Amino acid sequence: MIFTGIEILFFVLGVITTLGIATTVYYHRKFKFNAGAWASIGIGLFLFVFTIAWSVSSVLEGEPRASSMGMIIFGIPSIILLVLGRKLALKNNRS
Amino acid sequence: MSNVNRRDFFKIGSLSAVVGASAIAALPKKAAANKLDKEITNNLVKIHDDFPAEVRDDYVPPRNWDHVQARSFFVDAVKAIGEDVEDDIVADGQAFVQKMNFAYDNSKAGYTQADKALFAGAWAMNNFAAGPSPAAIPDYGVNSWEQKTQKNPHALFDNDYVVKEKWKFKNKQEAANQIKRAAKLYGADLVGITRRDKRWDYSKFLNPVPPLARKAFAGPPTPEQLEEMKNWGPDKFVTDWSDFPFEPKTVIVMAFEMDYEGISASPSYVGSAAAGAGYSQMAETPYQLAVYLKNLGYNAVSAGNDMGLSVPYAIAAGIGENSRLGQIVSYKYGPRVRLAKVYTDFDFVEYDKPKSFGVMDFCKNCMRCADACPTKAISFDKEPSFEPTHKNKDKAWYNVKGVKKYHVDAKSCFKLWGELGDDCGMCMASCPYNKPDFWHHRLVDSVTAAMPGPVHDFMREMDKLFGYGNVEDKEAVKKFYNPKGRSYDGH
Repeated sequence: MIFTGIEILFFVLGVITTLGIATTVYYHRKFKFNAGAWASIGIGLFLFVFTIAWSVSSVLEGEPRASSMGMIIFGIPSIILLVLGRKLALKNNRS
Repeated sequence: MSNVNRRDFFKIGSLSAVVGASAIAALPKKAAANKLDKEITNNLVKIHDDFPAEVRDDYVPPRNWDHVQARSFFVDAVKAIGEDVEDDIVADGQAFVQKMNFAYDNSKAGYTQADKALFAGAWAMNNFAAGPSPAAIPDYGVNSWEQKTQKNPHALFDNDYVVKEKWKFKNKQEAANQIKRAAKLYGADLVGITRRDKRWDYSKFLNPVPPLARKAFAGPPTPEQLEEMKNWGPDKFVTDWSDFPFEPKTVIVMAFEMDYEGISASPSYVGSAAAGAGYSQMAETPYQLAVYLKNLGYNAVSAGNDMGLSVPYAIAAGIGENSRLGQIVSYKYGPRVRLAKVYTDFDFVEYDKPKSFGVMDFCKNCMRCADACPTKAISFDKEPSFEPTHKNKDKAWYNVKGVKKYHVDAKSCFKLWGELGDDCGMCMASCPYNKPDFWHHRLVDSVTAAMPGPVHDFMREMDKLFGYGNVEDKEAVKKFYNPKGRSYDGH
């Protein structure tokens, strides 16, 4: 193999982070986020990237249970925060 | 409402790149990531000027036959010098040796002939080159005390002698750097340098093996050696530091990582193989470093478990911190390391200082190793103590008293070795600091170190919930051999 799993992981994380930030900036320009939306989306995005990093690293080290637990402990809050952030952004836009 | 057009996107991207590049350029000669990592480490790792555990004035260094294994395996020699040996440790030692040397069970996962073969190969170099060093017996094989001053005339190549010219390093830091680099080259995973401390040396040494049988023959025995062999007896079994060929001033301590998946398979012959591979490395690397020092013109003797107590020496050399399970817990590998030492009279070197990063605090609340130990040899006390508190505390000749630490009941531990026929390792496997070398574990360790006690309880529970630290796991042996995810040909 040319690249190890961990090298590919961090490359992909870089791509996801860039796309995540670019998308957030794009929608901020579109909907003008308030502080709540920024906090919610910012933490949610960070947790989402961390979930991928944790879970894939756990699979790479041969600990699938730690990977699944990572998705539950970090992944679910990240989805909740991202959904909440979206709602806050849309609410702000309607009002 | 405005959109980010392609031009704006490139502007944002370019601006980010410029800011990032400027930040990196503002850190001359140092990578930003390294600097950040160093800053975090400096904030979490505490450096001590003195030995970090309290030592009482009445502390007495042990003799090497106060080691349970030495006393059990060399029972005849201990009795021959006029000391009693308890029957139970003799029986446990005999059961252990019998099973370890001759037994396997093809119906039991982790104890089949194939697992036994793995284990035998792992221990082979130790058995050949360092013999009884794991049971604290010194001056054997590569760990010989002999300091030759010239090449063996019968050997084609032989560098194992102290050269006449002494190499002078420019400064102490250069000396430390070069010695550590050499240790790394020879196979050490961690290395630290500390002053020789008589508190941690065995005060006396039992070695019943006749000198002629301690080393592979390098030529025909001399008449003096044959005479010594003929007159060998209990009156010569015990030596002390007055028989040592030089006055050691420095101890170089090395740690060798043991295979994570192997230790996870504890207890089994696979777990023992991981330990054995570490012991074989302990027979190789310190000897190479000793020869290196001899070629710099200084006396040197390599040692595994013999000569002195490896754990306090490793603490003093900054390799790790003490723990509930009695073993060193290193920052990078946790307790999953084996330790070895080189004693030398070279002292123009920068010494390391002890370091702590929250292990003893974490141990107060964790107790996973104590829970995992089937014979309850590991203390459940909240706080460390100067005296042992376990059930055999009144006749615990094997515990060093007067050092504030968690005292392990070595006799109960050894009993399990006799029952299993291997060297267990469940305490190491269960320890939350025992993790593969992945970034997220170092992150968790660092966060844990910065948090107070109640968080440690939570971290311990999370560690269990995430599936780490299982012992007696039947799947662990399969996982050890599983070729999935491994590359044996490098592609």
